[in-house]
Amino acid sequence: MARFHTLFTSIEVAAPFEVPWPPPMSPPGGRVLREPRHSVWLGRLGETQVGPTHLGILAILSIVCGFIAFEIIGLNMWASVDWNLLRFIKMLPFLALEPPSAKQGLSILPPLHDGGWWLLAGFFLTTSILLWWARMYSRAVALGMGTHVAWAFASAIWLYLVLGFFRPILVGSWSEAVPFGIVPHLNWTATFSVRYGNLFYNPFHMLSIVFLYGSTMLFTMHAGTILSTARYGSERETREIVDPGSASERGSLFWRWTMGFNANFDSIHKWAYWFALLTTLTGGIGILMTGTVVDNWYLWGVEHGIAPDYAPLQPIPSAPPPGALDVKGPHLGGATASGDTVQ
Amino acid sequence: MKSLTVIAGAGFVAAAAFILLVPTWNRPPYTTEEIAVPANDQFQPVATGYALNKAPPPLPAVDLGGPSATATYKNVHVLTDVSAAEFMRLQYAITAWVSPKQGCAFCHEGTDWASDAKPQKAAARIMLQMTRHLNADWSRHVAPSGMTCYTCHRGQPVPGQSWFPDAPEPAHVLAGDQDNWQESGDTVRKFFPDNGFAEYFLDDQPIAVISTSPIHNGTIGSWPEANRIYEMMMQMSDGIGVNCGYCHQSRAFQDWNQSSPYRWNAWYAIRMTRDLNRHFLLPIAAILPQSRKLIHETQIPVMPVRMKGLQTGEGLVVCATCHFGLPQPLNGANMLQDYPGLAPAHAPAADPATHADATAAPAPG
Repeated sequence: MARFHTLFTSIEVAAPFEVPWPPPMSPPGGRVLREPRHSVWLGRLGETQVGPTHLGILAILSIVCGFIAFEIIGLNMWASVDWNLLRFIKMLPFLALEPPSAKQGLSILPPLHDGGWWLLAGFFLTTSILLWWARMYSRAVALGMGTHVAWAFASAIWLYLVLGFFRPILVGSWSEAVPFGIVPHLNWTATFSVRYGNLFYNPFHMLSIVFLYGSTMLFTMHAGTILSTARYGSERETREIVDPGSASERGSLFWRWTMGFNANFDSIHKWAYWFALLTTLTGGIGILMTGTVVDNWYLWGVEHGIAPDYAPLQPIPSAPPPGALDVKGPHLGGATASGDTVQ
Repeated sequence: MKSLTVIAGAGFVAAAAFILLVPTWNRPPYTTEEIAVPANDQFQPVATGYALNKAPPPLPAVDLGGPSATATYKNVHVLTDVSAAEFMRLQYAITAWVSPKQGCAFCHEGTDWASDAKPQKAAARIMLQMTRHLNADWSRHVAPSGMTCYTCHRGQPVPGQSWFPDAPEPAHVLAGDQDNWQESGDTVRKFFPDNGFAEYFLDDQPIAVISTSPIHNGTIGSWPEANRIYEMMMQMSDGIGVNCGYCHQSRAFQDWNQSSPYRWNAWYAIRMTRDLNRHFLLPIAAILPQSRKLIHETQIPVMPVRMKGLQTGEGLVVCATCHFGLPQPLNGANMLQDYPGLAPAHAPAADPATHADATAAPAPG
């Protein structure tokens, strides 16, 4: 039993394949992509059985659309370095497929070179993601499961759509959307925060960070509890929900001892689920309100008492205030504003 | 499956080794210094700068009295207020600073020192005017160390950190339009597009995009503008070896009341740079057309490695051109005190508009 208490999966069961249990793995319109087999190395991480993978019409369309989007983005990037493979590899972090320029507004048919490709790539990528969502939903229903995973995925899709679709529409220009590209989208993010008066004062951004970091904390608290009570049977975690045994009791007592309060084997999963789901849900709300309702989050924070009011905001002064340049910093070398020739 | 694992593992190791070994990393402990009043609570990593950040020793001093340069030499137009001995000393210094490999012949035609045959000589004259103008009229930014030819040239005829505007991209018919990302550099910021610099270092485009109203009211700057300003500011940050907090308070970039005094220094620097580019660098572009050619052509003998490729237009001044990655060029070494000929009391440029730039009341932006 103590062999469960390791950081990777050390016990692998070589057994007959888990046979499809009704409902059938191959409903009408779908087929099994690959017959099951065993993998020792994947077993170290997860489960030894690989496959069967379900390939229905939703999956096929999703992969096709995703491939089209990937090709549009990649070929545009490659074209921008004159189809030179070495330059393409070297410049890959900086290459981009940019959204339409501001003058195109919300046109759905801008010239291909001025954002047309971006709209096409965005359309196919979005279609691909939504089809994949439908696949997650329909597979869960087919197995008689709840649709929790699909709705958590939908929360991430919400943030994606806010950034690239809903917010650009609300502010009236595709040019406000995120470019495809590694460094370009990072620059977009940095500029977005600076332009709107520091996004860290956006309360929905704050919530999103709380849920993001909270998710990682809950994840490790829960996983640590389960692993550390494995010798008492906690790997049969779901059974312990309805029939709490020693593992559940010891885990709960541990958290009552250390922090006075505990979740149980049932509620911890609801905590984790909602923290993860709310990360992108609140983040999306925060982005959607930026530039539509609020233009400067720092000043909004000052107005609502969440940021200190250091000084009344002045229009940009017409000259340095008295003494502004008289501070003897190391780099001013003792130079002061007085005594030079600028009047 | 097994070979796939080995390949994937090797790939991860290679990627990790690349990330660890290829970029230049800063290792802790970081040296920082307090740069402003404690209330601002700003600390900066100490900049290390690019190469060549050591001032050369001054040439032996000579007689500042004696016969004047204009009485001794023919065709002297700029250095009219120095002695003949100091004039010749300055010629030697300029050669060592700007064209150490090419020598006097870089500007002068044979031994006819008065000849104006070479366009480089006309360019040198404009450069001398620029240096004297800077030291006399832009002390808001360059005092007390002042600047000399070496501040930018560092032994190269073309200053290594000049900004060369890229050739305009041929209009795409099909493929998506691209920003002109640079293709070399030792920091990520050196790769950033620079085709927006002209708006701020040649034109008077206001550098203001952040709204001063909390609630949306339509006064916020446009998205492309924000992007261009970000790239320009990153150039400034990289060029002088500091981060945003050196001048700005990150909670309120726009607010002068929360900014450090260095922001005023930079405010003057931007106006100074516009003055230099408009009134000195663009005129040189007109008389040195050969530098518009490809780098491997021989008209410009020493071209910095970073400037490979087709250059259109002329090298212009940005922050890094003088600063070389340090808050004070050459760590504040005062080379000017040894060369009084470069520091007249007052030296307006030929164009009266130039002087207006230096003395006009600051406008918003």
